[in-house]
Amino acid sequence: MGLIPNFKTLATRSPWLYRINAGSCNGCDVEMAVTALIPRYDVERLGCQYCGSPKHADIVLISGPLTVRVKDAVLRLYEEIPDPKVTVAVGVCPISGGIFRESYAVLAPIDQYIPIDVNVPGCPPRPQAIIAGVAKAIEIWRERL
Amino acid sequence: MSNQLMILLAVLLFPGGVFALVLGLALKGADRRVAARLQSRVGPPLLQPFFDIIKLGFKRTLVPEVASETVFLYAPLIGVISMVLAAALVPITAVYTPAPAIGNLLVLLYLLMIPGVVLMIAGSASGSPYGAIGFSREMAMMIAYEGPLVLIAAAVAIRTGVGMGGTVSFSLSDIIAYQQTHGSFLLDPVMWPALAAFCFFYPANIGIVPFDIPEAETEVLEGPLLEYSGPTLALFKIMSALKKVVVLNLGIALFLPFAPENWLLALVVWLVKMLVLMLVGVTALRVAIGRMRIDQAFIFFLKWPLLLAVASLAVVVVV
Amino acid sequence: MNFLTLFARNLRTGPQTEAFPLGPAFTPEKLRGRIVFNAENCEGCRICERVCPAGAIKFAKSPDGMTFDCWHNTCVFCGNCEFYCPTDAIHQTNDWNLAHVQADKFAMVEHGLIPNMKCSDCGATALNTAPMVKNVKPPLSEAELGEVRSRCPKCRAKYLKNRKVPS
Repeated sequence: MGLIPNFKTLATRSPWLYRINAGSCNGCDVEMAVTALIPRYDVERLGCQYCGSPKHADIVLISGPLTVRVKDAVLRLYEEIPDPKVTVAVGVCPISGGIFRESYAVLAPIDQYIPIDVNVPGCPPRPQAIIAGVAKAIEIWRERL
Repeated sequence: MSNQLMILLAVLLFPGGVFALVLGLALKGADRRVAARLQSRVGPPLLQPFFDIIKLGFKRTLVPEVASETVFLYAPLIGVISMVLAAALVPITAVYTPAPAIGNLLVLLYLLMIPGVVLMIAGSASGSPYGAIGFSREMAMMIAYEGPLVLIAAAVAIRTGVGMGGTVSFSLSDIIAYQQTHGSFLLDPVMWPALAAFCFFYPANIGIVPFDIPEAETEVLEGPLLEYSGPTLALFKIMSALKKVVVLNLGIALFLPFAPENWLLALVVWLVKMLVLMLVGVTALRVAIGRMRIDQAFIFFLKWPLLLAVASLAVVVVV
Repeated sequence: MNFLTLFARNLRTGPQTEAFPLGPAFTPEKLRGRIVFNAENCEGCRICERVCPAGAIKFAKSPDGMTFDCWHNTCVFCGNCEFYCPTDAIHQTNDWNLAHVQADKFAMVEHGLIPNMKCSDCGATALNTAPMVKNVKPPLSEAELGEVRSRCPKCRAKYLKNRKVPS
C-alpha cells in the first residue's frame, strides 16, 4: 500500500512536454525551443523531455491566441493527450488574447475551450519563467496522478 | 527438470528478464547523462529511464479508432518476450553459459530481428500514416543492416568452427571458449573487417540518432510509436532497453569475450565493456552526427558494412 | 574531427546550465518585467492607457476617485507606459517570475487609486493628482507643491497664475 505514493513521487520526475501552437506568432515557440535545447536552460534536468506525439505527453504547453481556423485542430489534439495531463498557457495570448485580443480572427482567452492549469504571462516569457511554470505544473500533476 | 528450471531462471532473472531490464535502463540513463555532458548540459538523473517507465505505468492507454486493437496492444509484448529470451541466449564469459539447447547464434539472429518486425507490425496496426511511413523505413533499415549481421555471424562461426577442427560452429559457448584459448577476435587481424562492420551495425540496431530514421521524432513523430501511450509505450521502452543489452552483449561475445577466471571480476569487466561500447559507439556517435536520410542510410549500409562483412567472410574462408 | 575537440572541451569545462529552478536565476538589471504603479506620482493624464498596445491599462471612475488597473496577463512588457509617463508614476521592474496557477489568473493585477479630495480653495471635489508643473519656471518649492496639490485643477491654474515669482 505504501509503495504506490512512492511510485507516484518517482513518476512526477518524468514529465514529458508537448507543445501546441494555437496560432502563435512563434515568439513563445522560440522561447520554448530555447528552453528545451540550449544548455543554459536544460529542462532535461527536471526529467522533462519534448515529445513529438501528443499521446506521450504529460504537460501541454499551449502558445498562441487560438485562432478560429486552428480551433478544431487544437481541441482534437488536446483530446488525444492521455490523462492525467496538465495544461500550461505560455505567453499572454492564450491567457487573455494579449495584443490580438479584440480581433475577429481570434477566440482568446483559450480557457473557454480548454481547462488551463498554469499561466505563464509574458510576450514572450523568459525561459526561466517557462521553467518556473513547468515546475508549478509538475506540482499540480503530482496531485492528479 | 532442473535443467528446465535453470533455463527458466536464466530467462526471467539473471541474464535475461529483471537483470537485463535494469542494466538496459541504467545504460540508457548513463547514455543520456553523458550525452548531456558532451553538450555541456547537466542532463537528467541517472535513474531517469526508470522514472519514465514508472510514469508511463500511471498513464492511460488510448487505442485509435482505426487501429486493429488486438495487434496494436499485443505487438509490444511479443517484442519484449523475444528480447527477454534473446538476453538469456548470449553467454557472459566466466559468469553465465546458456544451456546448449538455446545458446545458438542462429536462434539469436532470428530473435534480434523480432523488435524490428514488431515495430513494423505496431506501426501498421496503429492505422496512422506516420506509422506507415515508419513501417516502410524500418523495413528498409532492416534490409540494410540484417545482411551484414548475418555475414558477420557467419564469419565468426566459420573462424571458430575451422579453428576447432570442424567446419562451422554457431554455438555461442564454443565461440567464447575458442576465443578464451586462442585470444579474442579483437586481436585477430583476420576478423577486423567483421569487427568494423559490427561497429556500424550495432548503433543501427539499437536505433540511435544517425540511424533512427524509422522513429525520428522530428520527421515522422516517432513513427510506429506515435499512437502508443501509457503502459504499451513503456513496453516499447523496455523492449529497446533489453535490445541494447542483447546487442552489446552479442558484440562482446563475438569479438571481445576476454575476462578473468573469478566470476565476480568477470562480471565487473563485462559491465565495463558494456559501458564503453555504449558510450563510445552510441552516445558519442549520436551527439556528434545528425540524422541521416533513409536513402543515405540505406546506401551507406549496403556499401560499407556489407562490403566489410563480405570481405571478412572471404578472408575467413580463404585463411 | 572538430567535434572531438568540442567534446573534450565540454567534458573539461563542465555544464553551462543555470541553477534555476534549483537555485537563483540570473536577472539583468534592465529586464522589462512586471509593471508597478505609484498613485502618488500620477497626474491622471491617462497617456499610458492610450499608448498601451495590448490595452492592459484601464482607468475608471469610482466613488473614491480614479482607479488604475494593469492586468499583467495582457501586458506585453513593451515599456511604452513608462516611456510616455510625464511624472514617472509607472515603472517597469525586472521581476519576470509571473507564472501562476489558474485560480490566481484574475488576481494578477497592479491596482492603484487616485483618491478624491476637497479643494482647499473652493471646496469642490477633485482628484488628488500630482500637479503638472514640469515646465513652470522657476521650479516650485516643496511648500508650493503642497499648496498646488491640495487644490482642484481650476484653482491650481489660478494659483500658478497669481504666483509671485521670487526675484
